[in-house]
Amino acid sequence: MDIPETSAPPRAGKSLPGQIFAILSGFGLATITLLLLGVLTWLATLEQIDKGLYPTLNKYFHWQSPFLIPEITINGKWVPLPPLPGGYYVSALLLLNLILGGVIRIRKGWKHVGNLISHFGIIFMLVAGGVAHHFSERGNMAVGVGDSSNTAEDYFEYVVEVAEIHDGKPGKIHVIRGDDFHDLTDDRLRTIRLPDIPFDLQITGYLRNSQPVGITERAPDRGQYVADGYYLMEKPDEINAEANTAGCYVRILHRDGTKSDPFILAGASFHPFTVRHDDRVFTIDMRKRLWPMPFTVKLDEFTADFHPGTSRPAKFISKITRMENGSEAKHTIQMNEPMRYEGLTFFQASYGPPGAGPGDKMYSVFEIVKNPADHWPEYSLYIVAFGMLVTFLTKLSVFLFASIRKKNHV
Amino acid sequence: MNHRLLFAFTGFLSLAGCDERKEITVSETREKTSRDVDPKLFASSDERFRNAKPSPVLADTPHGWLALPASQFRLLNYRFGDSGQGEVWVTLASGTVLDNVNRWRGQFSVAPLDQAGLEKLRSVPLVGTQGVWVEAEGEYASGMGAPNKPAFGLAGIIADVDGKILTVKMVGPKAEVLAAAPTLEAYAKTLRMAE
Repeated sequence: MDIPETSAPPRAGKSLPGQIFAILSGFGLATITLLLLGVLTWLATLEQIDKGLYPTLNKYFHWQSPFLIPEITINGKWVPLPPLPGGYYVSALLLLNLILGGVIRIRKGWKHVGNLISHFGIIFMLVAGGVAHHFSERGNMAVGVGDSSNTAEDYFEYVVEVAEIHDGKPGKIHVIRGDDFHDLTDDRLRTIRLPDIPFDLQITGYLRNSQPVGITERAPDRGQYVADGYYLMEKPDEINAEANTAGCYVRILHRDGTKSDPFILAGASFHPFTVRHDDRVFTIDMRKRLWPMPFTVKLDEFTADFHPGTSRPAKFISKITRMENGSEAKHTIQMNEPMRYEGLTFFQASYGPPGAGPGDKMYSVFEIVKNPADHWPEYSLYIVAFGMLVTFLTKLSVFLFASIRKKNHV
Repeated sequence: MNHRLLFAFTGFLSLAGCDERKEITVSETREKTSRDVDPKLFASSDERFRNAKPSPVLADTPHGWLALPASQFRLLNYRFGDSGQGEVWVTLASGTVLDNVNRWRGQFSVAPLDQAGLEKLRSVPLVGTQGVWVEAEGEYASGMGAPNKPAFGLAGIIADVDGKILTVKMVGPKAEVLAAAPTLEAYAKTLRMAE
């Protein structure tokens, strides 16, 4: 990765494609992209203090964010900074640069094998980041001591669910994903056709963080629509974005052309909205997307140790039984020691209830990650380390041979 | 083709592509999971949004506070202050008054009190008895693995009401807690056990 290892850049006067190739594969671009990634990481670290981790990560590193304007405040004062390219595209440019410069353009030969291996390792790491960005899923599962769960919950995505009720229990549950209605802010509305249900839905007025408020508690201040004595009050985003509670207004569109009055669906509700259609009963609810697991987790025991005289956890440990197809397996999950099984990783994330007192029943919260590139960064580091080792050994052997030859010559 | 025409045509296609989806068809389903409890059918809006179970305690909401739905561990639940981070909640806890005072102090890394220290705390009325007024400030660790919150304040009352520990707790940015503490004390005077 040092300058003499690459071939000389094309001279001035080369063709346009040659010049473009020279720029894209050059050290200048590598330096700029690495510096930019460093700056973006630093600024994102500062900004997430005020704006929260999730929105800041999205702003700085999501593929839908090609450019961004940093919003850094120091002692309450806004620091003006120029727009910057999004981290996703800077990483993509670095990947291209590494492929062109570190693999294609690099000098070939046995002396350079180590560098080539290291470059492949870094490329692998960048690819791992891309795969994780596009294909990983994250959720959490809260289980009380003695209880079982086979379901994780998405951290952020609110969905609308429609279920037909038989004997007081939900049957098959129809799921309207967040991508289908999260853009329906203000007056924008969309009809959601549900072929297996005898009615359709019309959704509007989506709010990312909101609270149903009774008109007797606080009068609507922006002319909000009031449904059955309640309206949706918009709230500023929570710093921890997973604490946002979404809400929207919904109408039922009957197949005979009639429609119901709008009603509220809210993440901050305790019970679903119920609809009777002829002699059939349906519930409509808004909740965070549920993610069924291929096995059940039972929390056998949870222990939390604290630093003396404080509520700061020194460690918290969950002893679980994993149940699947009649077989059982015991596991211990604690900080930095997750359970990996069937492509899923269970991390010990937190516990509750908040402010639990002595004798209160505790629950443990696991973060569940499904990432096809789970171990790729680790493997890439091994590859980089091996490449560097080969490089150093190559240099050493060249030096030693040269020294011996020189000695013999003298 | 004339370049202007080509650009106009491309622009039209782009705009057409950006058109909002007015109607979609959804067929995604999922099976019932351990999280799907039997739903309460035909719940009223009060039941849906306020979980209108009879609360064992009642109080008058102070001006400027926002009453939130009660939860499993919060019999009464409020937000206050401009930052949106100020919280007040009322709970019935287990243990003793001293246990709970020291649990709160521990959340701010303040050294625990002994019985003599407890008796020196200011006494305030709460639901027909006397409780202790607890204050703390510093970095707040809520105790559930969440990030600590610096420059926070605590004000609250803990009382033994007929063998039950009733707590009224206010947590938020230090300046907001300091400003709202008199309101909290006045609020506590309105607390009463439900019939």
